[in-house]
Amino acid sequence: MTAEAPTTRPLMEPARREAGMPTPLVGMLLFIASEVMFFGGLFAAYFNARASFVGTWGPPEPAEPLEIFPIALPITLILISSSFTMQFAVWAIRRGDQRSMRLWTGVTLLLGVIFLIGQLYDYSVLGFGISDGVFGTVFYTLTGFHGAHVFGGAIGLTILFARGVQGQFSARNHVAVEAISMYWHFVDVVWIALFTTLYFLR
Amino acid sequence: MPNDTATGFLILGLGIVAVLGLVFAVTLRGGPRPYSTAVPPKGVHLPPPSLLPVLMSVGAALLAAGLVFRPDVAWDLPILGAISGVIHPIIGPLGLLVMLGGIWAWVRAAGREWRDQERGAHDAAGH
Repeated sequence: MTAEAPTTRPLMEPARREAGMPTPLVGMLLFIASEVMFFGGLFAAYFNARASFVGTWGPPEPAEPLEIFPIALPITLILISSSFTMQFAVWAIRRGDQRSMRLWTGVTLLLGVIFLIGQLYDYSVLGFGISDGVFGTVFYTLTGFHGAHVFGGAIGLTILFARGVQGQFSARNHVAVEAISMYWHFVDVVWIALFTTLYFLR
Repeated sequence: MPNDTATGFLILGLGIVAVLGLVFAVTLRGGPRPYSTAVPPKGVHLPPPSLLPVLMSVGAALLAAGLVFRPDVAWDLPILGAISGVIHPIIGPLGLLVMLGGIWAWVRAAGREWRDQERGAHDAAGH
């Protein structure tokens, strides 16, 4: 029987060497799972209310029906584009390209902020508020919570960008970029579902 | 839609940009640091009990109440008047402050806890 070779594990070894998937990514997946249930509840509330107001469902008078132009569709395309730019940032840092990672993270952040400002502008011209009937309450609750999630993602992107400027990420250590990217894609998918539900399922 | 409401949303938009700028400045404040590769301690680790999540929930509830119970007529005041087209000028900002304060304190507590574990302040079971 040969003598067992002494283990010489580095003192500060990354968690993924032992667990397969980095702990922060597992945490983010669990968080996203809880968010799916949260938005599932909101969608259920929307469809329940919609089923109770058949024929009269929609923005309260005298507000106009929801239209995809000139704001909703453009900001949707902007948010979808931001998912691509976020993924470009992930691919860049996987290659160890810090400069491209910073660039694409910055672009994603900018697109996210444009989406938020576009949504706020949309709110200002819709002609109804959160307390204007069931539709107003459900509409603003759904889109408002989604906007709050986009804002949270923008904060995460800002931190990523700042840490990227400081050169804290590399091809080996970039789990935060992967985690924020997962969250950002999730927020994007939720908006696609929201946009389809609110603007196309009349 | 009254101009007050548009101004209120403009203030919200500026607030978003201001918060992001603040986050960027705070993150940069510490200067360049190496990427931490510390691993959590062995065993099950549970965060200590905290009232901060409850505080955040109260803040969020106040914020939502501020959105629902906004005044029917905009207040005749410079800044509060503009906000009152969107949200109750007292309840809403109070809720926002409480919620952001709770988030800030909770993030700081989590950071302190992480630094403690990096220094090995936990017992052998990781608690």
